[in-house]
Amino acid sequence: MILDTKEVTKRFGGLTAVNQVSMQIEEGEIFGLIGPNGAGKTTFLNSIAGKFPPTSGKVFFLGEETTGLPAEVMCKRGLARTFQIPRPFPKMTVLENVKVGAVFGPSAHGLKSAELRAQEALEFVEFNLPIDTPASQLNAVQLKRIDLARAISCQPKLLLLDELASGLTPGELDSMMALIKRIRDDGVTIIAIEHIMRVIKGICDEVMVIEYGTTIAEGTPDEVLNNPKVIEAYLGEEEVPNAGA
Amino acid sequence: MNSTATYEEKGTAWGKFVSFLNKIGFSPLGFFLLIILALLPNFYPFSEEYIVRWLIMGAFLAAQAVAFDFTAGYINIVNFGFAALLGLGAYTSGIFANTTPFLLFAPGLNPWLTIWLGAIMAGLVGFVLGILTLRLRGIFAAVMAWFVGIALMGLVNNLTELTRGPLGMNPVKFIETPNNLPYFYIILAMMVMIYVVLKLVVGSNIGLAFKAIGQNPDAARASGINPTKYLVFNFTLSAFFAGLLGGFYAHFFGSLTPSTLMHTSKTVEVLAIAYIGGRGSLWGGVTIAFPFVFFIEFLRSNLSSLPGLHLVIYGVLMVTIMIYYPAGFSGFYFWTVAKVKTLIKKNK
Repeated sequence: MILDTKEVTKRFGGLTAVNQVSMQIEEGEIFGLIGPNGAGKTTFLNSIAGKFPPTSGKVFFLGEETTGLPAEVMCKRGLARTFQIPRPFPKMTVLENVKVGAVFGPSAHGLKSAELRAQEALEFVEFNLPIDTPASQLNAVQLKRIDLARAISCQPKLLLLDELASGLTPGELDSMMALIKRIRDDGVTIIAIEHIMRVIKGICDEVMVIEYGTTIAEGTPDEVLNNPKVIEAYLGEEEVPNAGA
Repeated sequence: MNSTATYEEKGTAWGKFVSFLNKIGFSPLGFFLLIILALLPNFYPFSEEYIVRWLIMGAFLAAQAVAFDFTAGYINIVNFGFAALLGLGAYTSGIFANTTPFLLFAPGLNPWLTIWLGAIMAGLVGFVLGILTLRLRGIFAAVMAWFVGIALMGLVNNLTELTRGPLGMNPVKFIETPNNLPYFYIILAMMVMIYVVLKLVVGSNIGLAFKAIGQNPDAARASGINPTKYLVFNFTLSAFFAGLLGGFYAHFFGSLTPSTLMHTSKTVEVLAIAYIGGRGSLWGGVTIAFPFVFFIEFLRSNLSSLPGLHLVIYGVLMVTIMIYYPAGFSGFYFWTVAKVKTLIKKNK
């Protein structure tokens, strides 16, 4: 088991954004985290990735307790993430953006220089603009790719993807799905927050659904998507057809 | 003084020289201008004593702008206590070099030694300031630095046994000479040293971390950068050089008062120079400082009926630059270089 959370809860004042979420993730899987907007998915990721500590509950990563460790420590231990709204370093070039991950991410550097690893990460995510383009000139989709490349060049064991596929055209969606699978095939376990059903069905091995901060279903994509509770959460209660009318 | 240019003739002596220059942060053009600046006071009218003094002021401001931009231009925190740190260095150095018995103690150390004590003192306070501002972002960090600056100035004003307070103290001079020229070379050497050291730092991975923290703290942390370490280091180093420059001020002018040295308006002068020069380049402020000092001194001597006019001009220029060209002079330079390069490519 690569990640094990025990009843992780996060409160902001009186609001309980994440309520006792327990999650077990096996090495090598692609785990989907879904739920309506505002359900607490990103807050949950933030509290395991170290943006802020959980209010209560425990997090075990790679067999060790990591509850409340700051983001930079989690990164060095092998947990990388992308951001829902991609947040690059605007005044740097594309290569420098990715180099930040390559230089400071991994605790043990290989023989290759950080620059070379950054270039490889950019090739891996199929970023095909010149690498000296300033990041401020990129569009949202290109920013997602370099954010992903930055995360990959941290050489993570677990990668958290926050709505990587949103805002993509159907064609781009296919290549992004293939890309996520290739990252997994390289030995990286993935947790992906997604809204697009096609992506969830296409790549996820297991899915958890969160609503109002609470887990309402867990299982394979097909099981979960046919679960009445989940349908209700997404579409509202099913109207019972009145036969007599 | 940019270091981005690449040169094809690497094997030749010239190519080796250029790549060495690039390593320490100079372009051939920047280095050439520096040599001209160093030779300037040997030619009329720049050899006039009052103009040499202007040049000294220019280099002093330029060096401050470099140390200031190291924080403002990279980790994006405006250190409003900069002048106070400089003053702290000046007073520390002045006190340790003091030989007159009216103060609490008179160690009478050599000023060449005490300027380093001043730098270390300022560096220590910079270290504390870095820790204090850690949890604060942007404007809040700036305000915190400002308060620390005001507190420092209050201390200097009130520790009258050490500093004589508002009456001011008169530290010994580096060298007893009616000539200004030796002082010009001292401050020029300090300026170049500060520039080269800081340029080497920002060109390394440490500089990459500074920029990452300044541009996006969350993504920086998610990439494994510990902001504490880099922020405190940045503040410490910047304050250290501010203190060193304060030592120069003390033993050049031979007169220190808290309000002419540590007041916030002194920080604003440096801020204006650094911003107009262009943030995040280190050398931008240097190119602006010299013409600026000449311009201001010219105004002062010709419009003496309007005291404080130079502050108005700082303000207007700052506002104009921030609105219409936030990249400053260095941004303009890089833009021009890029334009020229694409033009050359097209014509090939």
